[in-house]
Amino acid sequence: MSVRHAVLGLLAQRPRHGYELRAAFQALVGGEANWDVKPAQIYTTLARLEQGGLVVEDSVEQDTGPEKRIYALTTPGRQALQEWFANGIEPEHQHDEFFLKLMIGLVSGVADPYRLIHTQRMHLYQELHDLTEHRSQADPGRELANILLFDKTIMHVEADIRWLDMIEGRLDEIRRQPLPEPEVKPRGRPRKIWNLSG
Amino acid sequence: MSLIQAENLTKVYGTGDTAVVALDHVKLTVNPGEFIAVMGPSGCGKSTLLHLLGGLDRPSDGDVSIDGQPLAKMSDNAISQLRRRKIGFVFQFFNLIPILSSVENASLPLLLDGANSAKAKQKATEWLTKVGLEHRLASRPDQLSAGQQQRVAIARALITDPVLVLADEPTGNLDTKSADEIAGLLKQVAKTWGRAVLMVTHDPRIAAYADRIVFLKDGRIVNETYLGRDGNGAGDLEGHEAGQTRTVSQ
Repeated sequence: MSVRHAVLGLLAQRPRHGYELRAAFQALVGGEANWDVKPAQIYTTLARLEQGGLVVEDSVEQDTGPEKRIYALTTPGRQALQEWFANGIEPEHQHDEFFLKLMIGLVSGVADPYRLIHTQRMHLYQELHDLTEHRSQADPGRELANILLFDKTIMHVEADIRWLDMIEGRLDEIRRQPLPEPEVKPRGRPRKIWNLSG
Repeated sequence: MSLIQAENLTKVYGTGDTAVVALDHVKLTVNPGEFIAVMGPSGCGKSTLLHLLGGLDRPSDGDVSIDGQPLAKMSDNAISQLRRRKIGFVFQFFNLIPILSSVENASLPLLLDGANSAKAKQKATEWLTKVGLEHRLASRPDQLSAGQQQRVAIARALITDPVLVLADEPTGNLDTKSADEIAGLLKQVAKTWGRAVLMVTHDPRIAAYADRIVFLKDGRIVNETYLGRDGNGAGDLEGHEAGQTRTVSQ
């Protein structure tokens, strides 16, 4: 995903070794709790970038411990980074589990859809409460990355609550429509039509 | 004993065919140190509820008790006095006097109650400092940001040392950042300064600062949910666990 571009960007700042890259990445995104990148992922990414000619091994740091390879950006690497900066990022669209739950509730007939919406709404309010509590405890002087991520999550939860209100308002309409059924395609060989008349 | 007790609270406007039931036999309890949000669509009765709880209007049926005193038995004068001394109000559009400074605006409720101006000024300065406006004491509203104006309004609401603070869409006129600050400050009014706070809002993010959200629809409470697990002076939440919800059918 965007880890490879993050690596390119961090190397644009200065050549680094893998351990340093991971630490810098984690620091930028507000810590492991927010976005955990395993060391293996960094090293695999570096290997692929090197294969693709976007980074090169710059030197090898030698101290008392094992050797640390230092990587640097190449010109094609710089270009790839610029392209990433120049283009928009596709928003992530996750499968919405609540939507699925509502549809299954309607199909199975064993759940009250209004109850489902109500339960989800209360859950979201509790989420919102916990998020705003955590956000208010973060230090804007040092944890701005965390705060920005909290804000995003908070806004998403607000949007989910609005969406629930919308669904609730139109639930009767939804229930009056036939439920989506799969298309039944004929399978196997077409049946022969016997001509019995002669 | 609950601080605020509303029983069977009803308000009907108009008569006969054109009668509108704004509030329909609502039962509500608010305790000291509790921060309650009231939400609902336009016309659900939340502003009516606020007005009745604040003694700004009389119910058609049912009653409100504040600090053990039932309003139904009180004269208009007695209610006015109760309102001046025991209730603080915060409004959406701040309602500050444009030609007065922060200290003067915050002093008003005490002055209206007959306190001497030195005492009023001292209290106003105290509360303005507590809400973070110690450097804005002499500023007029037009010299303050929207968030700062609302802070003056909150200081004003607290100056008479009320037991109850009623806020009607207090963040409706604020940008996101100021809205969060004011919601946080209202929470502090409940948690740190021990008042009962009831806030009407249509903003879920702001409502989520509260300990409890009450949902109104067509003049009735249709839902209520308890949030968080506050251990510091939330008053008697009657043993409710966080996340507990009850659906009320009236």
